[in-house]
Amino acid sequence: MRRDTSTLVKAAFATVLGILSVPHTASAQLDQPFPAYNPYPPLPGSVPPTVLPPDLQSEVLRVRREVQTVFGRYFAEWQALTPPTLTGQPPTLFPTGYDAVRILGGLLNFDENMSPFQNQACSFCHMPYAGFSGPIPSVNLTMVAYPGTFRYRAAKRTAQRYTYSPYFPQLQFNQGQNLFFGGNFWDGRATGYKLQSADAEQAQHPPVDPLEMGFADTACIAFRLTSASYRQLFELVWGVDFDIRWPANTAEICGIPQGARRFAGSPTPIALSPTDRTKANNIYDHWGQSISFLEHTTDVSPFTSKFDAFLVGNYTMTADEMAGYNLFNGKGNCNSCHVDGRSTLLTPGQIDTGNTVGGQPIFTCFGYANEGLPLNPRLPLFYESRPDRFGFTPNPDGLRYRDLGFGNFLRSGPQSGTDPNAANWLQLAPETDGQFQVVTTRNVAMTPPQCPTTEAGQVDANGKPIPYFQKEFFHNGYIKSLKQLVHFYNTRDVGTFEFNVTSGHCPPGTTERVNCWPMKEVPQNLDMTTGMLGLTDQEENQIVAFLQTLADGFDPNNPTVSNYKNIDTFTGQCTITAPGVTASTQGNETLTPTWSLTQFPCATDICGVAPLPSMTIP
Amino acid sequence: MKRLLVKLAITAAAGGLLFSNPVVAQIPPPQKRAEHVEITKAPELESAHDDTAIIRWTTTNPRGDDEHYGIVRYGTDPEDLSQTAKNPIRLNRGHAETIFRVRMLDLKPQTTYYYKVTSVGSSGASDGVESAVNQFTTPAPGERIVNYRADSSLPPAYRTGTPQPR
Repeated sequence: MRRDTSTLVKAAFATVLGILSVPHTASAQLDQPFPAYNPYPPLPGSVPPTVLPPDLQSEVLRVRREVQTVFGRYFAEWQALTPPTLTGQPPTLFPTGYDAVRILGGLLNFDENMSPFQNQACSFCHMPYAGFSGPIPSVNLTMVAYPGTFRYRAAKRTAQRYTYSPYFPQLQFNQGQNLFFGGNFWDGRATGYKLQSADAEQAQHPPVDPLEMGFADTACIAFRLTSASYRQLFELVWGVDFDIRWPANTAEICGIPQGARRFAGSPTPIALSPTDRTKANNIYDHWGQSISFLEHTTDVSPFTSKFDAFLVGNYTMTADEMAGYNLFNGKGNCNSCHVDGRSTLLTPGQIDTGNTVGGQPIFTCFGYANEGLPLNPRLPLFYESRPDRFGFTPNPDGLRYRDLGFGNFLRSGPQSGTDPNAANWLQLAPETDGQFQVVTTRNVAMTPPQCPTTEAGQVDANGKPIPYFQKEFFHNGYIKSLKQLVHFYNTRDVGTFEFNVTSGHCPPGTTERVNCWPMKEVPQNLDMTTGMLGLTDQEENQIVAFLQTLADGFDPNNPTVSNYKNIDTFTGQCTITAPGVTASTQGNETLTPTWSLTQFPCATDICGVAPLPSMTIP
Repeated sequence: MKRLLVKLAITAAAGGLLFSNPVVAQIPPPQKRAEHVEITKAPELESAHDDTAIIRWTTTNPRGDDEHYGIVRYGTDPEDLSQTAKNPIRLNRGHAETIFRVRMLDLKPQTTYYYKVTSVGSSGASDGVESAVNQFTTPAPGERIVNYRADSSLPPAYRTGTPQPR
């Protein structure tokens, strides 16, 4: 009892400390000690007429409070944990080793100290109630990419969902099929080649990405962990040696964001001895492994969707959900790439003998595809072409930037990672230009309980409007609802819908994302599995209904309340559908005209690097 | 010394915990290639603009590699189909038939093109099918040909192949 009381007090104290560190002002005070980086031009005539949404800072602070709430919960879990002890050979943490690593992963993932200004945890861009994707509706609606520790450097693409990411194998080129499989990130740049876990290596990128958490040196993670309140747990799990001789300027270096001129491009500005560098690297590896373990647990990837319950007979799909499921596997052809491991049933009464290892389909083929999304001119990256106060220019290519995705990674191009197998893979870049990871469809529809849908224009049984949670879809967030997503797959290639224009320039009499699809950002290697499916409007809606059955947290014994861990932490506002808006036109008010691509052609450090793209990128 | 041993033991335990956990899903091997593949719906023009066209055809499911390429060999002379367009599609293991669709780019307006189609697995193995030579004519600039409808709400004129304002 004394222990329990002590635990509660500690947890409450940790939570209060966290909350106190965030300014609670109506004016949404900037949470860094100097003015924001704001190279963003006005967008006259657009809504809003700026790249940054007006409520950005207040929303940043809101999410920070939620992050601290979850951190407090993991801290309390740790305090309540029966400490495991080393037992047996090989020595194993018994009997709570799994929980120890899971909780450690949670603490690391929600720890704001893991950024130069101690204002950004990994989870800032990945909150549970959004299926561990972007938590700010106005960002999802407009700027798409999330601001980093240095407000407002902004990232490159949508925040990809964590859920089921550990199930992706390390990036591999299957020579038999001449195809890539595995990896993490939209462009596959977390390969898993060293840790043999693409997901663990994914967790190692944002802390040193200048547009995200932004440490100047990976050793800053070890440095900050030396003073973490849960250091003891890290030592218990990993047995690491924190006895590192830190140079006197370490705290200063770890308080300056990546890319600062004073680092002169050095990837390791903290001057450690070789021995200490090895220790810091080991700690950084264990950072990634701990977070990956968390993402593999039921805290993140629990296989508790309605669909999972359906597979074992604990849920009966509605007529629309079932029709959507059959379309997903049949006319919609969705499961060609979002593999569900089930058979396609062509005859009534036929028994489904399909299966997957463990019986739990991941709804992805682990591959890459170019779906032909248009360039999204709302992405902040295009405008981050001026140096910030640290002398760092996020995107020197400016409006000439083009996102070639996987092909750009194979060339170790701008805004990507370094290809660790360039000696063999570089030659394959032209065949993969424009490709992005085929993500799992699981949790694509997950929302906070108080905003139970991603779709505008929905009403309940009494005709009352249902508030929605604005999400964003695909790598560049061009699509704003699941209805639009399915409609895109259905009609991308319809001759009357296809226009040789850029986003924001659809002809009069057409509606973008409804019956006008602008030109593709990368035209080559276009996947033609879909694009002309012939689905009716109702069939599109039925596929959306099926996608909604893939959200985790369904409890057959209490079907109206999600039991997904920490889904209750959303404290923001749902969106109320504006008059005349439907899921088909959701977000269209924020479309903004794209600049002339002819005037700003693809930059030479992207499109001019051998082996060259197979055709001209507009 | 004792502290060092404890650290080594914990490190070993942690390593064991990590590597005993099979976190990744297995990628199933490709299906066995179909012994015989045939075209069940002949290639035809799906749509065309003055500078692009989409050709589609259906075959029995060739199986084999998960990804296949539809290939169109074409030219303005039926005796010289020296140009090639190809696009990837992902096979559906559960479907009896496979629809191939290929997008041809950089065409000339109001020009008759001759073409034939084939398909290969991503490893390069041919499916062993090849169509007869067909033809189509691209529309004038600003017009388009649409042979497939998006949904039944479209006006009938959009389903007929009649050139439409672009």
